[in-house]
Amino acid sequence: MANWKNHVRAGLQQRDQTEKLPHVGVFTTLSQLEERFEIRKQILDDVQCNSSERNGVEAGKILHLQLRETEHLSEKLSQTLSDLTTVLYLKEAELQYWQSRVSQYRQEAHTLAKGNNTLKARREKDELLQRWMEEKREEADRMNKNNDAQERWQHLAKQMKKHLQQQEKEKSLLVDASH
Amino acid sequence: MADDKDVLRDVWFGRIPACFTLNQDEVTEREAEPYYLLLPRVSYLTLVTDKVKKHFLKVMKTEDVEEMWCESEGTPLKWHYPIGVLFDLHASNTVLPWNITVHFKNFPDRDLLHCPSNSVIEAHFMSGIKEADALKHKSQVVNDMQKKDHKQLWMGLQNDKFDQFWAMNRKLMEYPTEDGGFRYIPFRIYLTMSDRPFVQRLFRPVSPEGNVHTLGNLLKEMYPAAIPNEGEPKQNQVVIHGIEPLLETPLQWLSEHLSHPDNFLHICVVPVPTD
Repeated sequence: MANWKNHVRAGLQQRDQTEKLPHVGVFTTLSQLEERFEIRKQILDDVQCNSSERNGVEAGKILHLQLRETEHLSEKLSQTLSDLTTVLYLKEAELQYWQSRVSQYRQEAHTLAKGNNTLKARREKDELLQRWMEEKREEADRMNKNNDAQERWQHLAKQMKKHLQQQEKEKSLLVDASH
Repeated sequence: MADDKDVLRDVWFGRIPACFTLNQDEVTEREAEPYYLLLPRVSYLTLVTDKVKKHFLKVMKTEDVEEMWCESEGTPLKWHYPIGVLFDLHASNTVLPWNITVHFKNFPDRDLLHCPSNSVIEAHFMSGIKEADALKHKSQVVNDMQKKDHKQLWMGLQNDKFDQFWAMNRKLMEYPTEDGGFRYIPFRIYLTMSDRPFVQRLFRPVSPEGNVHTLGNLLKEMYPAAIPNEGEPKQNQVVIHGIEPLLETPLQWLSEHLSHPDNFLHICVVPVPTD
């Protein structure tokens, strides 16, 4: 991992070691105690007000106090539950997002592979065409050569025939003259 | 996109222990006890001090109470700056917990903005996000979001819900791979020894030649005095979220991981402590 990244990570941890961790315990406890104190104070006020006519019912007061505290705890627990449900919902949304990304990339990969195959087929076709054209060219060259040779032979044969006819003509003239 | 989640979590859950004391000049019915609170670095003072206000109001008469404001060693604390920035600028070298004095009178209009309700903080926060996205994506991402998405960002910050916030903020941190980063980096450089509140200009994460810009490149262009000359002792500290990143740290990575929830990279340049 890059040095600069390690430096940031270590820096943040060092910062928390100094600023956060030594205080988080005592601050949280203090805040919880304060909250508890506030609730008790309020509940006690309520209870004192309600039970002012019924003197000496200390046990009832305590029970009422416990009941209210339990109710408060239950409220907090439902809040936690609601928070956790939200987190779950968000995680699910995140999962769906990543799944859609995966599916999108798969689709892209598929399209690319398809494109690649088409490209390959076209290249093969081009190569085949090229080879066929080459063969045709060679064949045409061969035919041309044959034609040339044939033409030359025909010309030669014609000349020889002409020459032969000439000789035969001269020969017959010589015979006539001798008679 | 931001992927070093542990860094994002450490940034989000940064806390500063603070001790709030009522200003001596305030009229009270009985002595006010100090109030201790762990302050989230990425939040705003007026968003997290409801309990502080309630605590001090118990010992005061309603007629003696005006808008609450805070001060640290004589400096009024601007609620519209993130708490971590205020601490790094004004108190990073003091003993913890951070001593903050609470006032209910003589509001310093010249130094502070009024904050009558949380909706003002929300408006300020959202305007920061919109400005940052204008720099990063020509506002395309934030404009494509729905009202409920904006609300999710705000509620995430207000209720300190990391997952809720980042589920949406992730979209603001995306960029086309071929670009190598955002269009411009949203940043603000705070200088304790300057009259200007902060330096903010256009700066790209990658040079025209395709080189990655670093924190050092940014400072060299915006405030060269922040970088120590070779062979000379260091005079300033460059602090982000209470730490000093190396100058070779890529700016794009810093923007993605060390930006505040308003999507700005808040950089504090403070003198090196002499003791």
